[in-house]
Amino acid sequence: MLISQLSVFIENKKGHLSKITKVLKEAHVDIRAISVFDSAEFGILRIVVDKPEVAAEALKKAGHVVKQSYVLAIDPSDKVGSLYDVFTLLADNDVNIEYVYSFVMPNNQGSPLIILKADDQEKAIALLTASDFSLIPKEDVYNVK
Amino acid sequence: MKIWSEKEKMSRDELRKIQFKRLKKTLNHVYENVPYYHEKFKAAGVKPVDIRNLEDLRLLPLTTKEDLRMNYPFGLFAVPKNKIVRYHASSGTTGKPTVVGYTKHDIKVWREVIARLVTMGGVTNEDTAQITFGFGLFTGAFGLQQGLEKVGAGVIPMSSGNTQKQIMIMQDFQATALIGTPSYALHLAEAAQEMGIDPKEELFLKYGLFGGEGSTEEMRAKLNEAWGIISTENYGMSELIGPGVSGECQAFKGMHINEDHFIAEIIDPVTLEVLPEGSVGELVITPITKEALPLIRYRTKDITKLDTTPCDCGRTTARMAKITGRTDDMLIIGGVNVFPSQIEGVLLGIKGIGSNYQIRVLKKGYLDRIEIDVEVVNSDLLLSVTLLDKLYKEIETKLHTILGIHAGIHLVEPKSLTRSEGKAKRVIDLRTEKL
Repeated sequence: MLISQLSVFIENKKGHLSKITKVLKEAHVDIRAISVFDSAEFGILRIVVDKPEVAAEALKKAGHVVKQSYVLAIDPSDKVGSLYDVFTLLADNDVNIEYVYSFVMPNNQGSPLIILKADDQEKAIALLTASDFSLIPKEDVYNVK
Repeated sequence: MKIWSEKEKMSRDELRKIQFKRLKKTLNHVYENVPYYHEKFKAAGVKPVDIRNLEDLRLLPLTTKEDLRMNYPFGLFAVPKNKIVRYHASSGTTGKPTVVGYTKHDIKVWREVIARLVTMGGVTNEDTAQITFGFGLFTGAFGLQQGLEKVGAGVIPMSSGNTQKQIMIMQDFQATALIGTPSYALHLAEAAQEMGIDPKEELFLKYGLFGGEGSTEEMRAKLNEAWGIISTENYGMSELIGPGVSGECQAFKGMHINEDHFIAEIIDPVTLEVLPEGSVGELVITPITKEALPLIRYRTKDITKLDTTPCDCGRTTARMAKITGRTDDMLIIGGVNVFPSQIEGVLLGIKGIGSNYQIRVLKKGYLDRIEIDVEVVNSDLLLSVTLLDKLYKEIETKLHTILGIHAGIHLVEPKSLTRSEGKAKRVIDLRTEKL
């Protein structure tokens, strides 16, 4: 259920995102989800792609600092309060959320999905599965049908 | 551990008496025999007779490399050419080199001071020493060769380069001491490994005597580990004698200055005032036993400090700390003296960043500001912004604690800083001359 995510160090300067995405384009890597976490001095670009290994290799070769780690992709169902249910379930069971960002996949009728990183991922998976939240398998994220 | 000469164990009082006697002789010698010094002393309104004790040394003008250049090649020599038995010269990266000469007596002194530092490094007549300094105009190779032979060690005059052959001879001749620059010694260790030779197991080295360039404790640890040796550092420069000004004993608490031949002072490189013992500043050396080229108060431009407290080894001579920088590199940031090497020291002690960095000095309004680009190399830090932020704050805090200045830190990608061939350009001063 864990999905590979790449974190790339970015300097806060013009053109850096364009530089990074150019590397991905040239490696024929398709970006599924993207988000930037930044401070005043620097940022971390987080992406989920169709070919994580290829992407990581290409970025490293181009001189970028890349870290591969794992996140969860959840389909919270598109209705008022669904995210509240997800977050409450995790909070009530002492699971901390480190960060979350959303994305859309064409084969999901355009309804938004979320990428979530919890401090205890295994526990998060168990809780969410037991409560019938739909976790999206990595194959579905990597390979768009 | 053996001490080569009784002179290294004299009481400080006795030493000062000898220093003063020799200083007076040297001053009279240059005043009478070097017209340039005669004029220089006159301009400063001082004569050798005005120097009544060692402290009066500070009344005399300083000598710089520029004085040597202006008098190229032999203008500062204090003896006629027929007394010179050897010439050497500095590399002189820009323009003319600086030329130095030795009389028979100077060569004798040189041999003696080298014998002392060779002994400090652990080398005896049982050892075979491979010299990897280049034999030529450079003083390093010849200097060490003479002193090693005086001690009775067997010298292999390999000279520099030819790395594979160096390893072969080292193995076949069973060399037990390696003489050279620390960086070349590290290169040799790597080369041996690449040739499939384990430097620790299949070679016979016990000691490494390194000099010719500055070195750090980290470098020493690496050398000791790579070769399985005891490394010591020695210091000198061709203008003063070559190697032999000072050397490190195995208490590793600084390099013992051969004070019966050299008087050391520490000055503030800006005000040129003599600083009290223990202060960090520029090393100024006056050789007091040289005949051919006796320089008075020569500014080495090297930054260090002196310590005359008793050493565990039994020697009484003053010790100078490892060179921490060059006055040429010194930056003055809002009145605070900062050396790039200090910044480097802080940065190298922090995990997660690369060894490459760039310092920019700018003016913001009337204030000096220093900005440092640091390369992030550890990808584990990308797990959270907090980790990167922690690194950022750690660099900022450590720099402030050690340097007393606030520096702007920029975390940049690895290899994004320009790499130059050879000497890295670490500092860019963007301050304009006018306020």
